Amino acid sequence: MSYVDAGYAVALVTLLVYAVGLLLRRRRWERALKMTEAPATESNGAPALGERS
Amino acid sequence: MSAPTLRPSRPRWLDVVGSAGVVALGFTVWLGLWITPPDVVQGNLARLLYIHPPIATVALYWVGAVAAGGSLLYLWPRTRSLFWDRLAASAVEVGAVFAALTLVTGSLWGRPAWGTWWTWDARLTSTALLLLLEIGYLALRRVPADPAVRARRCAVAALLIAVDIPLVHFSVDWWNTLHQGGTFIDPGFQIHASASMSWTFLLGFVAFSLIFVWLLGVRYQVEVLQDAVGDQELEVSLAERWDEDAERLGRDLVAPAPTPGGGAP
Repeated sequence: MSYVDAGYAVALVTLLVYAVGLLLRRRRWERALKMTEAPATESNGAPALGERS
Repeated sequence: MSAPTLRPSRPRWLDVVGSAGVVALGFTVWLGLWITPPDVVQGNLARLLYIHPPIATVALYWVGAVAAGGSLLYLWPRTRSLFWDRLAASAVEVGAVFAALTLVTGSLWGRPAWGTWWTWDARLTSTALLLLLEIGYLALRRVPADPAVRARRCAVAALLIAVDIPLVHFSVDWWNTLHQGGTFIDPGFQIHASASMSWTFLLGFVAFSLIFVWLLGVRYQVEVLQDAVGDQELEVSLAERWDEDAERLGRDLVAPAPTPGGGAP
């Protein structure tokens, strides 16, 4: 492999790996947001102190 | 009542930019490796011209402009918004990738052209310093702090990064360096290359710039999601704490009062 081929390969592979990593991170955080929203909704739906018997 | 959750939008133009960047990059590689003629002096080595300067341009000028501009706009009280902080942070992370690529592709060019992988040349050293400063910024960003405090710290750090950018740019003029100055385009904007080489060179700039915009946009979305999850977790913790306090208070109200004398029959 020549220096030129190595340069192109390193640049393209690095950008590809970083881009895929970013997309995976975005998906993971979107899932995390959904997970945290569910308990927050339940908690917000709980009766207030004055409503407790 | 909880505040509405901050959600990043997924603008369609970002996908268009990303697709255009991939197509332009594909054409740059095809033209650069197979279509353009070899250089009369450097032969096939000159094909690195189509990726190394465009990557360095993104790492230096585009990242510098977004990071420094965003940080200044955050520090300016009238325009203060976490949008600018998030944008600057996103630019610095993408910039660190491009700065590392600048060093690696430059090193791969330097070994056959200069006979060495690395030298403490002013251009190379100031570019390595840029990468170190960006890594430092990202480390600083991970230090737990109030969002406003973190944003202010990071904005100052980004301005320190910006100070290095003119150093990198003018290093080949201010010091005697192994790295050559501008050779493709002279100060009179005359291009010294064949038409196919010139167009491929320009296409490389366009391709990497589009890729940078797409990466910046996606990284910004990640930043917004991270903050939104942090806010939600804080809200959940507060709600749980509130529920615990309410239950404890309810138990205290229901529990019988202790009888005088210790309650013994």
